[in-house]
Amino acid sequence: MASIFLSNLPRSFWIEPAPPVGRFRLKLVDLVLGSLDEDYPAIKHLLLRPGQRGQPESLLGNSAREGSRVDWILPLDAVEMIQWEAGRIRVHAPGAIQAAERRADVQEVLLKRDILDNFIIDLQNTRVNRANDLLLDNGDGLRLRAVDTGLRALLRRASGGLYHGVHQGELQDWKYVEFLRGDPGAVEAGAGYYHRIERLPAGEIALLSGELPYLHSAELVLLLPIQLAADVLELMAPERQLQVFEELPEGYAVRVLEKMAPDIAADLVGHLSPEDVRRFLNRLPKISGERIVDLLRYPEDSVGGIMTNDVIVVRADWTVAQARDGLREQLEQPDFVYFIYLVDDEENRRLRGVVTLRNILIARDDQRMEEIMTPYLVTLSPLDSPRQAAYRLINNQLAALPVISQDGRLLGAVTVDAAVNLVAPGSWSAQAPRIFS
Amino acid sequence: MSDVPSTEEDEPLHILGSGVLNGRPRPFHHGIRLNIRGRSVTLRGLKHQPIGLLKWVLVLGPGLIAASAGNDAGGIATYSAAGARYGYDLIWVMILITVSLAVIQEMVARLGAASGRGLLDLIRERFGIGWTMLVVGLILVANTGLVVSEFVGIGAAAELIGLSKYIAVPVAAILLWYLVIFGSYRWVERVFLLMTLVFFAYPVAAILAKPDWGGVARGAFIPTIHFEAGYLLLLVGLIGTTVTPFMQLFQQSSIVEQGVARRHYGPERLDAYFGSVFSNFISVMMIIAAAATLHVAGQMELSSAADAARALEPLVGPAAEVLFAVGLLGASMLAGTVLPLATAYGVSEAFGLPKGVNLDFRRARLFFGLFTAMLVLGAIVSLIPGLPVIRWLLFVQVLNGALLPVLLVFILVLVNDPRLAGELKNSRLNNWLGWGTFTLITAAVIGMLVSQLLGSYLP
Repeated sequence: MASIFLSNLPRSFWIEPAPPVGRFRLKLVDLVLGSLDEDYPAIKHLLLRPGQRGQPESLLGNSAREGSRVDWILPLDAVEMIQWEAGRIRVHAPGAIQAAERRADVQEVLLKRDILDNFIIDLQNTRVNRANDLLLDNGDGLRLRAVDTGLRALLRRASGGLYHGVHQGELQDWKYVEFLRGDPGAVEAGAGYYHRIERLPAGEIALLSGELPYLHSAELVLLLPIQLAADVLELMAPERQLQVFEELPEGYAVRVLEKMAPDIAADLVGHLSPEDVRRFLNRLPKISGERIVDLLRYPEDSVGGIMTNDVIVVRADWTVAQARDGLREQLEQPDFVYFIYLVDDEENRRLRGVVTLRNILIARDDQRMEEIMTPYLVTLSPLDSPRQAAYRLINNQLAALPVISQDGRLLGAVTVDAAVNLVAPGSWSAQAPRIFS
Repeated sequence: MSDVPSTEEDEPLHILGSGVLNGRPRPFHHGIRLNIRGRSVTLRGLKHQPIGLLKWVLVLGPGLIAASAGNDAGGIATYSAAGARYGYDLIWVMILITVSLAVIQEMVARLGAASGRGLLDLIRERFGIGWTMLVVGLILVANTGLVVSEFVGIGAAAELIGLSKYIAVPVAAILLWYLVIFGSYRWVERVFLLMTLVFFAYPVAAILAKPDWGGVARGAFIPTIHFEAGYLLLLVGLIGTTVTPFMQLFQQSSIVEQGVARRHYGPERLDAYFGSVFSNFISVMMIIAAAATLHVAGQMELSSAADAARALEPLVGPAAEVLFAVGLLGASMLAGTVLPLATAYGVSEAFGLPKGVNLDFRRARLFFGLFTAMLVLGAIVSLIPGLPVIRWLLFVQVLNGALLPVLLVFILVLVNDPRLAGELKNSRLNNWLGWGTFTLITAAVIGMLVSQLLGSYLP
């Protein structure tokens, strides 16, 4: 026998200990995975449940507390012979079996509890599926090889052994799967995961998270490194973004918020409850907190409500060489870098002109920034209509327009991303017809 | 950077839609203001409590219409039949069942918010595939029965205005299928919803019919039980059409799709209660209207939709049939799409298969297959010549009533599971009401089955 479906395993196993003790039957409760470091993880031990009586308790290596409901843990390396299909297990070492209280151990991965019937992400096709059945390979130990996501798997399980159909196309190689438990708390509790999802681009992860229930989405985000989590949150549909954000543990949420583009972060924070807003803004580091507060001062339906204030600023009286040095640091942080705004000094931020990255690259070192800048600017005022600003930006085919106050200080910029979001709102999935609402 | 400042003429003002004049900032929205780090900040996302009557109507309006649309073809038939046969004697059941409906609808809404998943989804995760198959099977039978009754309703409405149902029903089925698959359904849905506004005529008609209000009050608060098979049958039918299992699936999925999170569930509770009470108010008015016109006139049995339409006569006189036809058509078309659509959605979801009308046929075979099969089957069965229309409608409601206890057990177990419902799990009062409802409905169903058996074996 090369491989077997989880659904084809017998419901109970005959345990055959060394001669003085006769054989007896235990119900198969679950299969526990060993290390997740391997692509195809091996089953480490079985969780078996005693029936009413008739089990020789003498086999147990430990004794369970009186009156507690226990399962028996059988490590597979203590097994002398096992016939999976026939349901026979020969145990040699006495005391190999341990009694364990029946409580949920979050950290271990149990096939039936944590994977079967739960959501899995097929990373090859970037799809969300349910694990309808699991395929186990029996070579070097019993290993989890693939997950069956098709209707046939359900028919197999429901028919009780009458139907055996398998479709290769519905089997998903376990190497390219991320599984989810539906409990964001499990990530914090140190449960085992693959974290393979982080190899996908942020946009794809955001799309996948839109297909999942919101608790699973939050769990998925928690699996990501902070910067990627921030990128994914930025790309989510607004309602989902809020749902997920509110499920994140507070410390994590603060760090994600810090990494998000300030305009999107401000929109998100602006939708939280007043107590939450106060708490989050007070916990954020000074600079990013100030940025968000600055943006929150403008109404949502104004240019100020859609602009970002994370822009790159350089003094106009610097030379190009000075600017290049100064830019190196600044360029590490913001997402939006194509335009560099020139101001008379960093405190005052009175806008003088703009240069592009290309301007700087082709300019000579000793030129002054003033000499290479474009002094004629199309500017926006923070209380302008955002839709008009968006069309203006798109008509001009620019990547961004600066926003200045009445006294000419640079406040931020409206980027083409924000403009497109406004003119063509929502992603493709948000455009899909809704059935229930 | 462009050095030619753009002129205002460049801007496609016709797309703006908002009618904002150039350059003039729109008035500030007074959102909630906060002072943080010494600066004033406006919050955007908090819902304002509506002020004044008009705003309440605006906020609640769509919900009200949706709730009244819950009175579909089967509902209208059952309520009318109950009023015609037993006058005001069944109103007390409606009062009791309103409490049950409110409690159950609130429970599933809470479950949806707490778990982010649909009901069939949770049944699968908690009880495994075997039970899911059973529930899916039951739901498919019950909902297909309902779809048939919606097409019966469409046929009946067509005949009332002089169209042959053999033309109207196939046309309606194809039209609905086309609209859903190829997209413009959202718009048409509003037309159907508007058509169901006709049912607001029932309260007026009921009052104009000058019912014996003393009798109504007695019927509402003093249980009268007739010891005959037909009475129990109608009673279970009333339960089935009021607390349709489908409504629970729909309620939960709709909460999930609206994105209600567990931290913000609070206000939804009132919505669930209010919707239940309101839709049952209309139902009770249907019973009163039918009782005060048909029952009083001695017409105990309904044999066609025209009979049921007579309950509206006190309000509109001879136009009653047309008005009734419009409402019936709207409600039936609405339910005739939502039912197969939501069923296919829920079943695909539980089986972990792709779902959604925006997908490719080949990607979501089960979803489209189920949706199409239910429509086709519904249309064909409803056209069987000689199908006893009113009796079929009642039968489907009774079937739904009989399935309700099964689904209720699942709901009650799920909503008490701390792993799924978390902090939103049932309070003790909720459990009392839930299991109380279960006991009463089960008793009614068993009583009905026994009386049916006795009725068929005894002379």
